[in-house]
Amino acid sequence: MRRWWILVAACLVVAVAAPLGWWLTRPSASEGVAVTSVGAVPSSSAPSSAGPSSPSASPEPSASASASRPAVPKVTARPAAPEDEGPEAATNPVSLSIPAIDVRAAVDPVGVQKDGSMVIPRSVDRVGWYRYGPPPGSAAGAAVVAGHVDSKAQGPGAMFRLREVGVGDRVDVRLADGRTVRYQVVGKETLVKKRLPTERLFARDGAPRLVLITCGGPFVPELSSYRDNLVVVAEPVGGAA
Amino acid sequence: MRPLRVLAATGAVALGLGLAAAAPSSAAGTSDVSVLHGVPGLTVDVYANGDPLLTDFKPGTLTDPVKLPEGTYDLAVFPAGEDPDGTPAIKADDVAVPSGANITIVAHLTADGTPVLTPFVNDTSRIKPGETRLTVRHTAAAPAVDVRAGGTPVFEGLENPKEAKADIPAAKVSADVVLAGTDTVAIGPADLDLKEGTNTIVYAWGSAEDKNLALAVQTISGLHSAPGGVPSGTGGLLEDGLPMPLVAVTVVALAGAAFAGRRAVLATRRG
Repeated sequence: MRRWWILVAACLVVAVAAPLGWWLTRPSASEGVAVTSVGAVPSSSAPSSAGPSSPSASPEPSASASASRPAVPKVTARPAAPEDEGPEAATNPVSLSIPAIDVRAAVDPVGVQKDGSMVIPRSVDRVGWYRYGPPPGSAAGAAVVAGHVDSKAQGPGAMFRLREVGVGDRVDVRLADGRTVRYQVVGKETLVKKRLPTERLFARDGAPRLVLITCGGPFVPELSSYRDNLVVVAEPVGGAA
Repeated sequence: MRPLRVLAATGAVALGLGLAAAAPSSAAGTSDVSVLHGVPGLTVDVYANGDPLLTDFKPGTLTDPVKLPEGTYDLAVFPAGEDPDGTPAIKADDVAVPSGANITIVAHLTADGTPVLTPFVNDTSRIKPGETRLTVRHTAAAPAVDVRAGGTPVFEGLENPKEAKADIPAAKVSADVVLAGTDTVAIGPADLDLKEGTNTIVYAWGSAEDKNLALAVQTISGLHSAPGGVPSGTGGLLEDGLPMPLVAVTVVALAGAAFAGRRAVLATRRG
C-alpha cells in the first residue's frame, strides 16, 4: 500500500519537474543591453562629401570680412580626376564561429532583394554579411551578419541555436586576409519583424560592433515565416589576432 | 588654348532655387559648398566678398566642402597672383547661398567656350538600399553628348550647363561620353566605382576644340538607407512552447500517478 503512495508522489514530482525544469533552463528571449543602444550616435549623421581621397577641410575665418557679407573660410582643394580604387575584398569576412553554442558557418557577402530586404544565403548552412555596411573589424559602425534559423526544405540552419547564446560568449569572425576579429556578446533581444529598427541595427556609424540577426518567436504557418527577429549584438575585444 | 575672355558681370546667380528667397541676416544656417575648377589651362585665385577663398586653384581640382553661412556672396576669379582690385576673369555677383543645401560651384566653359561660374544644387536625399546615385553634368565647351555605361547610353542629349541623374543599382561601371546620337567617343572610357548610398557626380569639362575634354568626379557619401527587413526562417522548426518529448514525459507521469493512486486507494480499502 505505501509503495503505491510513494509511486504517486514520484510520478507527480516528475510531472511537475519536467515542464518546470524546461521553463527554468530555456534560453531567455532577451539578455544584456538593448541591441539598439550599442554604438548609438546621438544625432543623425550628416552626409559627408569627399573627392577620391579624403583630407578634411580646415575652415579659417578670414579677418578682413566686410561688415554686411558673411565671412569666408579658407578651403583646400585636390584633383578630381576619376581614380581606380582597386579591389577591397581583403577585409571581407569569410567565416563566423560561436564556440559556446557550436556555431560555425561560412560567410557570403550579400546585398538586398528587390523588395529592399536583406538577402540571406539560400543555403541555411551559410550566413550573409551585409556588404554595403562596414566589414567586421572596421573602426566604426555595425557589421551585420544574418542567417536562416531554419528552412522548410533544408531543416535547421546555421543560426538555429543563436537564441541559446549568452552575454559574454565569444564570437570570432575570420577575414579573407586571414585575420580573426574577436567579439563578445553584450546583448540579445527578440524584436517584432514589422517594427525592426533597421536604421539603427544597420547604422554605419557609431562604435564598432557585430550584429547577428536570425528569426525567432512564434511561427506563423500562413506566412511561412516567424513573427520576430532575434538580434544579438557583440562588441570587439582586444585587437585583431 | 584660346585667351580667357573677360566676362562682364553675369548678374545675380540664384542658388538653391526657391530656397534662396530674401535671406534675413539673422539666420544662422549654413550650406556645404564645394568649388570645382573646370576651365583648362589657367591657375586661379577665387575671391568671395573680396576675401581670398582659394589660392593657386588648378584646373581639374575640387575643393573639400566648406560650410558657408547663409547669405549673399560676390564671387570673383582672377589668374593666380593677380591683383584682386583689377577686372576678374570670371565673376558672379549676389550669389545667394541658402541654408541647409549642398552646392557645387563650377568654374567652367560654356558650350561656345566662355568661362562662367555655374552653381549646382547636389541631391543629398536618401537613396534606397542597394542603389547608388549617378549625376552627370555637362560643363565643357562641347555640343550635346550622351553618357554611356558599359556601352549603353544612360543619359542622352545632355547640353551645357545641364545635369541629369538617376538612382541605379550600385556597381562598378565603365563610362564614356559620346557626341549625342553617335558612337564618337569624346571622353573616356573611365572606370567608376558607383558605391551604394553615394551620389557620384561626374563632370565633363574642358574644350572639344582644344582637345582637352576630361572627367572630374565628386562623391557625396552617407546617403544610404537600411534594408527593409531580415527574412531568415521558413521552417517553423524552432519550438516556442514546451518540446514534444517533455510533453510526453509529463503526460506519462500524470497517467502513472493516476494509476498508482487508484491502486493505493484500492489497497487501502482492502486493508
